[in-house]
Amino acid sequence: MVDAFFFVGLPYLAIVICVAGCIWRSRYDQFSMSARSSQFLEDGKLLFGSLPWHVGIITILLGHLVVAVVPRVWSSLMVIPAVLFGVEALGVCCSLLAIAGLSALIVRRITDARVQAVTTTMDLVVVVLLMAQIVIGLLSSITFRYGAAWSAGTVVPYFWGILTLQPEMAHVTGFPMLFKLHIIGAWVLIALVPFTRLMHVLAVPLGYIFRAPQLVLWNNPRRRREAVDATARAESRRDFIKGAVGIAGASGLLALGVSEKVVTYFKGPDPDPEAESALLQKKLERLQQTAEERQLELERQRVEMILVARYIELDAAKGKYFIDYAMAPGLAFKGKNGLPLLISAKCTHLGCTVGSQVNAEGQIMCPCHVSYFNIVTGQPNPGAPAKLPLPHLAWALVDPSGNVVASGLPGGEVEGTPSPELLAQCSLYITKPRHSA
Amino acid sequence: MNSRAALLIVLAAASVPHRAIAYPEFQAFVAKSSGRTVNCAMCHANSDGPEGTGPGQIGHLNAAELERLGRARSALQPGQAVESPILNAFGNHIIKSIGKEKFVELKVSPAHLADLLPPDSDLDHDGIPDVREYLDGTLPINHNDGNPLLLFRHNFRTNLVAIALTLAATVCGVWGLGHLLHGFATASRIKDTED
Amino acid sequence: MNLPEIIKNSEAYVAERFPVEKMSYSAMVVKKEVPVHRLSWAYYMGGLALFFFGVQMVTGLLLLFYYQPTVSDAHASVEFITDHVPGGSLVRNMHAWASSMMIAAVMVHLLTAFAMKAFAKPREITWVTGVVLLGITFGLGFTGYLLPWHQVAVNATKIGLQSVQEVGQYLPGAMAEWPRIVKETIQGEAAVGQATLSRFFALHVIILPLAMMATLGLHLLSVQLHGMSRGIDGPPKRQEKFFPTFFIKDLTVWGFAFIILFVIALCVPFESLYSYPLFEPFNPKGSTPDGIKPEWYFYFLYYPLELLPFWVILVGSTVLGAVLMGTPWIFQNTSRKTLQILTVLAALYLFVMTVFGEQIYHMFKG
Repeated sequence: MVDAFFFVGLPYLAIVICVAGCIWRSRYDQFSMSARSSQFLEDGKLLFGSLPWHVGIITILLGHLVVAVVPRVWSSLMVIPAVLFGVEALGVCCSLLAIAGLSALIVRRITDARVQAVTTTMDLVVVVLLMAQIVIGLLSSITFRYGAAWSAGTVVPYFWGILTLQPEMAHVTGFPMLFKLHIIGAWVLIALVPFTRLMHVLAVPLGYIFRAPQLVLWNNPRRRREAVDATARAESRRDFIKGAVGIAGASGLLALGVSEKVVTYFKGPDPDPEAESALLQKKLERLQQTAEERQLELERQRVEMILVARYIELDAAKGKYFIDYAMAPGLAFKGKNGLPLLISAKCTHLGCTVGSQVNAEGQIMCPCHVSYFNIVTGQPNPGAPAKLPLPHLAWALVDPSGNVVASGLPGGEVEGTPSPELLAQCSLYITKPRHSA
Repeated sequence: MNSRAALLIVLAAASVPHRAIAYPEFQAFVAKSSGRTVNCAMCHANSDGPEGTGPGQIGHLNAAELERLGRARSALQPGQAVESPILNAFGNHIIKSIGKEKFVELKVSPAHLADLLPPDSDLDHDGIPDVREYLDGTLPINHNDGNPLLLFRHNFRTNLVAIALTLAATVCGVWGLGHLLHGFATASRIKDTED
Repeated sequence: MNLPEIIKNSEAYVAERFPVEKMSYSAMVVKKEVPVHRLSWAYYMGGLALFFFGVQMVTGLLLLFYYQPTVSDAHASVEFITDHVPGGSLVRNMHAWASSMMIAAVMVHLLTAFAMKAFAKPREITWVTGVVLLGITFGLGFTGYLLPWHQVAVNATKIGLQSVQEVGQYLPGAMAEWPRIVKETIQGEAAVGQATLSRFFALHVIILPLAMMATLGLHLLSVQLHGMSRGIDGPPKRQEKFFPTFFIKDLTVWGFAFIILFVIALCVPFESLYSYPLFEPFNPKGSTPDGIKPEWYFYFLYYPLELLPFWVILVGSTVLGAVLMGTPWIFQNTSRKTLQILTVLAALYLFVMTVFGEQIYHMFKG
């Protein structure tokens, strides 16, 4: 019975009073439809009370409004943990801000004589009720957490039930006392709207944000001089507020969009085992490649002869790459006389690696700046960017029992003439260049 | 190292008759039609092609991989899910879509490969179908590679929310910072005139 | 001239360039004014370059958390950043795109400052530090190009360093060896390898940025001390306050630049502009792939290098460097009209070589 009064009777009573009262007041007492300004009487403490209070309470009311109007969209957003935490934290911060602001306003109203003079009883009632309402709201949101998520399925249907004349109080009768008080307080405040300064929410002065500041001053020469200063000061204050709002908005958006990404960036990826092993595999292969290069380097420091290929692998038209004693690439061909032809593949122009395919003119090409080198003479084509010939390299042919059967020097001198049958069994080596003293 | 070298020599000898298994016709066609540099990595696991001892080359395969290679090579008809160890996802996709037999026939007209591949398939999900990437000479399995304009269009669409939010944050920030500085300048001017 | 006189003169010289009485918040920020005229847009270019430098610092520091400067791991770590680290590809693309945008902004800044005769007395120091900054910026571009250790990076670096050695053929006697020694000192060993990577990493991440910040400090200090140069011959339409009016406009330009950078970095991977084989890990045993080119901002030097004999480029770039350094004294009596014509010619050359360089190259080389 008591629940029925508070959650069905009171709401309709409040709505009827609010609507009828507002219509009456806007018709018969139009000029009172504002929060009577007291800025004229006391300008110092007002900013520190009014601004936080309004920023806090407007944000919170907007949150209440959005969840009531588009509960589905809201719920779909609240599924994301980061957003839910963000919204809850924002709610708590804004209620604290509103409480701080309202406290400052109460202190100002009580301590300043000039403000006290224009304070009505209703003002005090409203202020106390608002304070109670917001404290209860804060307490209930802390005690029964994640209200941002669950309210969409409970309070919102109750609210729409009231509005569509199908009240279903079962949605809320099971709530804890604290939360019930919050709902009751809301209806009481709605009922009070037409009789108090709360009426000003129906006449939101949006134009204030965009128009130039206006100052009300006593009209005498001294005050007029001061007015210039005061206008500048008001302007700068507005700039600060706009700046704070803009930066707060930007950092809010950043916090929403970037903070999580920054954390995950530093935290690093969370690969599944398969991706991780593929990654490790790749790194290992690269390491092995590097190790092989190091080994080649060491080999060239220590060994007199290095295996290039088996003789039968050599081809007249396509060279075989190897690494020479200077750790530069070289190419091995089968020459016209059937003996190996070894030439450096490091372009004498800018050091690119020359291609291995021999063209019809018996030349290999460097892809970087298109120089053609004759593989027999090593000479670049006339007009090529490269001016110097590719040097030939010293080689040796070794038979299966380990004897050197033929060798060649860079100058083209060849020692030994093995038979073709023996050649086919030989392996090709490069020999360490002798340092001319 | 020695056994590897021995294996290599055996394989090199064994692979001589198989020289035709790499298909440079396609590479030559793509390089010519797109004007981009192209290498074997478009379809193969190794950018130097299937022959050799490097990762993804024939000389590097273990027994299980060799068996898969054999199965892939005998997938003459389309529709078989092949997993050739020497091909990359796009190479396997080609064999699966048109079959090995048809593919070998296409050697004389590589341009027709684009007509036969499924037109909507997009292996790297970068918004550019594989067929288009094949003709453009970009890598169909790398979502960072593709025609820059097409990539821009696709990425712009998928990231619209992020872009809108960043735009809002930037506008908000610049607007706020501007007013803050303005307010700061006015305040210090007032202070100066008072002094 | 005797010693005391020289000291006195140089004291006066420095005092004129760094007027101590102006080193105050009120003179450098509150009272500074910016002329408004048809070339006013050029005043934003330096700020834009500064903004992109800031972006480079932030994104570069972020990349530093994952990049590994070793021959075996560099390429894999860069791939890891692009493919696996959340947001890594955005950070890396921003770093790549912002470097190009920074260089573009720096080039336009240099050209406009020249056209507006912003180097005239007492702004010589500003100009000279600016030229040094230009050199450091190009140095950052060159050293940064190597770090991913892919084909195009290593081969382009090889070519770049080899051209240092090429200078040797024009030097007499024992001096002919010096360029090779310089090259090997830079790359740390006989060929481009791990030592080169370590050195370029140190240069790119610590030494050049520190040098940049120090020079930038001097540059900005002298800009604020002397104010914006008037820029045109006649009187400007009006003056506007540097703080806050101009500074807020500067911020707005930065906001635009950020959005453009962000959208491009998010939507166009920098790698998509090049052929994919260029981005495979560097393979010292394979052949060099086709299409090795430096970054676009070296085209103005690269294509002439391909077309003309090396000594022409060598003489040309030495003269250009000397002229750039000596601009405040060489052009001190030149009229703005002449300077503007010179600037248009230079801009035309840069534009044509950067955009049509390849076509020109093919036209001459077939």
